[in-house]
Amino acid sequence: MKIEVMKNILNENEKIAEENRNFFKDKKVFVINLMGSPGSGKTSLLELTLKKLKNEIKMAVIEGDLFTAKDAERIERHNVPVIQINTAGGCHLDAAMIKRAAQNLNLDELDLVIVENVGNLVCPAEFDVGENVKAVVLSITEGDDKPLKYPLIFKESAVAILNKTDILKFTNFNLESAREDLTTIHPNIKIIETSCTNGEGLNEWCEWIKNNLMR
Amino acid sequence: MHEMAIAEGILKIAFDCAEENFSKKINRITLQIGEMSGVEIEALNLSFEVLTKKTIAEGAELEIKKIPIVGECNKCGKIFHVEHYNFFCPECDGILILKSGRELQVESIDME
Repeated sequence: MKIEVMKNILNENEKIAEENRNFFKDKKVFVINLMGSPGSGKTSLLELTLKKLKNEIKMAVIEGDLFTAKDAERIERHNVPVIQINTAGGCHLDAAMIKRAAQNLNLDELDLVIVENVGNLVCPAEFDVGENVKAVVLSITEGDDKPLKYPLIFKESAVAILNKTDILKFTNFNLESAREDLTTIHPNIKIIETSCTNGEGLNEWCEWIKNNLMR
Repeated sequence: MHEMAIAEGILKIAFDCAEENFSKKINRITLQIGEMSGVEIEALNLSFEVLTKKTIAEGAELEIKKIPIVGECNKCGKIFHVEHYNFFCPECDGILILKSGRELQVESIDME
């Protein structure tokens, strides 16, 4: 016999993600899910963001990593609360992991939580963790063809950060073409060009965060 | 490879459905997978095969229906098949809002 089901495969995850989102909303905490390839500069961007904002905004970080605590150790040096999630080989964070991690944060005292996802351009895009926005970091060395090769992550992200612009002149990365492809996939995407070496674009990124906070 | 998590989701739905219907054998599961979803079919089949070993779904077939990317223009209201991930309206200066193409659904289950 054939049974019509019509059920969302990721239903369980989406249910928990919605609970997380409502929970964060009650606490007036803005949550960013920061995604991107390994080595795109997510942690460097995060470190500079902490330096610039930690005195004005009460923030915490949830660090996703396959096995190590290397990134969390980098964040800890900035005296900001950080929770490490090790996925033990898992290629993405899911809503249940964020739910558990959030229980270890004092959300009443926070305005902003940044979740650094596992370095990967595919899987994290498919899993809602209960964030308010997704942001994706694409670095110049990865090549300007990546938006069209991995369209989902750029479709899902409200912001695309083009990082490492300081080395643009040493590469064949076509900034115009990358911007055009990003806008084609996601006409309303906000594109911010940054360099964590010379600080370019960091103010624009931090202003964007501040304008989105819930209090 | 998030296909393992997707295969787990499929099996959770399938086993729940089999239990409700007092079924002892699952033959085929039909899925709707949007063209915009990032699922690698080969990896999904492999994960499914591994997870179904020694279960009532062992040997079951995964039938996959691809759902095209379709958008509706936020200005002229026309519906278009989105090509090359281009979400600008081909006929006016509007933007195509995704209507389908992100599906990850179990459509039906064939069981004994």
